[in-house]
Amino acid sequence: MTAQALQIDRELERLDGLWEDGLQDTYKSYLDAVGAYEPADRPRLALAAALIESGLGLQGLGGRAAAAAPLLMGDLCLARASRLLADHASQTLQVAFARAIEKMSANAASGEAGGAVRDFLVHALESGR
Amino acid sequence: MIAQRLRFTTSSPTQFVDITDQLREEVKKSGLRMGRIHLQSLHTTVGLAVNENEPLLLRDFESLLERLAPSGAGYEHDDFARRFEIALDEPVNGHAHCRQLLLTGFATLLVENGDLVLGRWQSVFAVELDGPRTRELAVQLDGDFEPSPLRAEIRGPARSDRLRDGSPEGGTSLVSNDKELVELELTRQLLADPDPVAVPMRRLVEAGGKRLRPRLVQLTAHVGPRQDPLRAAALAAAVELLHNATLIHDDYVDESTHRRGRPTVAAAEGPERAIAVGDFYFAKATRLIAEIGNNDVTSTIADALEAICAAQIDDVALRGAYPGDHASYLKVVRGKTAALFAASCASGAQLSEATPDEVEALRRYGDLLGVAFQMADDMVDFSPSSGKPVGLDIRQRVLSLPLIYAAEDKVVGPEVRRLLAGSLGDAEVNRVTQLVRSSDALKRVGDEARALVEGALQELEAIELDGLRPTLIGLARSAVDRDS
Repeated sequence: MTAQALQIDRELERLDGLWEDGLQDTYKSYLDAVGAYEPADRPRLALAAALIESGLGLQGLGGRAAAAAPLLMGDLCLARASRLLADHASQTLQVAFARAIEKMSANAASGEAGGAVRDFLVHALESGR
Repeated sequence: MIAQRLRFTTSSPTQFVDITDQLREEVKKSGLRMGRIHLQSLHTTVGLAVNENEPLLLRDFESLLERLAPSGAGYEHDDFARRFEIALDEPVNGHAHCRQLLLTGFATLLVENGDLVLGRWQSVFAVELDGPRTRELAVQLDGDFEPSPLRAEIRGPARSDRLRDGSPEGGTSLVSNDKELVELELTRQLLADPDPVAVPMRRLVEAGGKRLRPRLVQLTAHVGPRQDPLRAAALAAAVELLHNATLIHDDYVDESTHRRGRPTVAAAEGPERAIAVGDFYFAKATRLIAEIGNNDVTSTIADALEAICAAQIDDVALRGAYPGDHASYLKVVRGKTAALFAASCASGAQLSEATPDEVEALRRYGDLLGVAFQMADDMVDFSPSSGKPVGLDIRQRVLSLPLIYAAEDKVVGPEVRRLLAGSLGDAEVNRVTQLVRSSDALKRVGDEARALVEGALQELEAIELDGLRPTLIGLARSAVDRDS
């Protein structure tokens, strides 16, 4: 197992099922977007972005409301991402991610069609450098 | 105005401690551009002086003090046989008091362009006259600060940032002022948000709530030497928003129709809106906390948020084995309720740059208080005078310690378990309520909650709290001895 895989593995407590169920692919899709960050930070930043995308998807944000169990799992994904960012991201990046979620949830609350979650989060990664 | 304490430890009987750099740093951190920094010694044997930091000159000063008020010169103050109510460790220090009379106990320095106004050779000294000891100076900064949205909003002549004065009364005025600050900050934050998310949250926030978590943040933010009521209010308001965000999702999960006497966000606006409002304020609260710029605080709150979400999943999973057992109950409550109480206490202390020991003691205080608070909350469900519908927790199959104890009871336990295993209509809920009241379950829970509060109060004994102690004790006791 690589150091990168070990880092990620430690952050997946209670989320192993999600990893096999698409979170892993989402994570890989963010690895390019974190290329400008310090190599040691990249896995956790990509994972944070993937957890936010998966979490919002589980909750059904902007679509049909999820049932209790997936909603709570989505909440845990967001909380885990928040903790990863608190421990490993700059203040600028933490703020950029939070603003992205604020924008997406405000859009969802007002019934406006927002952009794709991934676009918001990639933009946050770019602006948070 | 910013008020804080500057602590230092001395290593010899007479010592000139140069605090110029520390004061410069405090001015810089505060954002004060033009104004004054006021210093006051909190001791009768510590003086203040502005002079040159040249080692031989400092020896001259020591010699001068020794000549003017020699040690061992037969001071009446040191004649313990003639004094009343002296402490067992009362030092022989008449000379130190007399020397302090020759210095000053307070000083005001000017600040211009964000820096102390000092001549080329001037340094600021705290003068130890009876060391070695740990000492404290009161420091206040006032004047024009760098523009900050929060400061601009709430600064005003009628609202001085009063600090505790070491008495319970001082603690009370502090709490009253703090409450005002946090309500203002909550209002300000909610005014800035888009209506589709702000209106439901405003309804929830304006409906009241005990505001225990923000109070804990603000109180503990007075423990360390760096005390800034405005930053504490910003953190306290963010914690309250975070708490309310979790309630919005909880209410949807629990299918609750009312909270604080008003329809829940899910009931009033639909589940889609409830999820979006919860997410918005989860993100906004974490942003506000990140913007405070204290990594320890950010990590503390992030850890708590994760614990809350994990416990909520456990809570729902446990409903299959309702009413559960004591161990499962504690595990869930530690996460769902106590984690944010503990984080509120710890983060306030961290914000004020309290010592790690103080932070951890307050974290434990918050944890025990949070568990006790939840137990008291469980008991309210069985109180006809609470103003809430009796038996709501039973109807919603919410984890409840009185129910767990009643289900374990030799007399009523079998019937309680049988009723809880079936569907719960009005008749069944009323019967379960009756059975719980007739057992000793409520007494056991009450005793357990009070014991936890006593444990929480013991955690406070090891730390220096000045006038805050009575307030923290009162808050802990009132969190348990309540009926609503």
